[in-house]
Amino acid sequence: MQNEFGRSLEQLQYIVSFTDEFFAQNDIDASLRYIVDLCVEELFVNMVTYDTETESDILIEMNPHEHGIEVSLTDFGVDRFDPREAPPVDVDAPLEQRTPGGLGLFLVLKMVDSIHYEYRNRNSKITFIADRK
Amino acid sequence: MFQIGFDGPGKVIAQGRLDAAQAPHAQEFLDAVNEQCVIDLGGLEYISSAGLGVLLRTHKRLMAGGGGLKLVNVNSHINDIFMYSGFDRLFEIEATE
Repeated sequence: MQNEFGRSLEQLQYIVSFTDEFFAQNDIDASLRYIVDLCVEELFVNMVTYDTETESDILIEMNPHEHGIEVSLTDFGVDRFDPREAPPVDVDAPLEQRTPGGLGLFLVLKMVDSIHYEYRNRNSKITFIADRK
Repeated sequence: MFQIGFDGPGKVIAQGRLDAAQAPHAQEFLDAVNEQCVIDLGGLEYISSAGLGVLLRTHKRLMAGGGGLKLVNVNSHINDIFMYSGFDRLFEIEATE
């Protein structure tokens, strides 16, 4: 199942509805829902925020995986950005040293079972798998 | 759908989904809080890093003035996110029984 979404945070509500539909149609374990919602939002928002050289919609694909779900987000006509290379966040730092930024990709890398990155012809595709434990 | 409002002096209730689209609304509301504050998250279904940023920014501002945020009725999913983010060491948090 796939759909394209405009480059706006207002699209998040439609992405949630799309995910609702996919989970219902494919009987995906509900325990994976939070992980999928969070990772899709963080990756989508990162693309909308930083890939500003394009006006293309962002493609989101969801497919059943062995014990869970495989999700891809593709951004077209953008620079390379591999989320696996995102700088780490020091979650042990004291309050005065903590800043709001950087947690999104940190959480994605922490929560998914695996993540894959492809960059071809200026198209940036991130795929993650979330499996039932 | 996200809602935030006062529930008596020093008490705030947040409900629904606090995502990146709703974070500016939450930030605007919490910017008006100027004292020690308890936020009841019992009705909060979801929070992303944008929402975490709102809580962190507000907590830092209030702590600088001798106050801070206390987060109560936190469900297990959101408590996991708080722990992964190290928020359990920055905030006073009470999870749902």
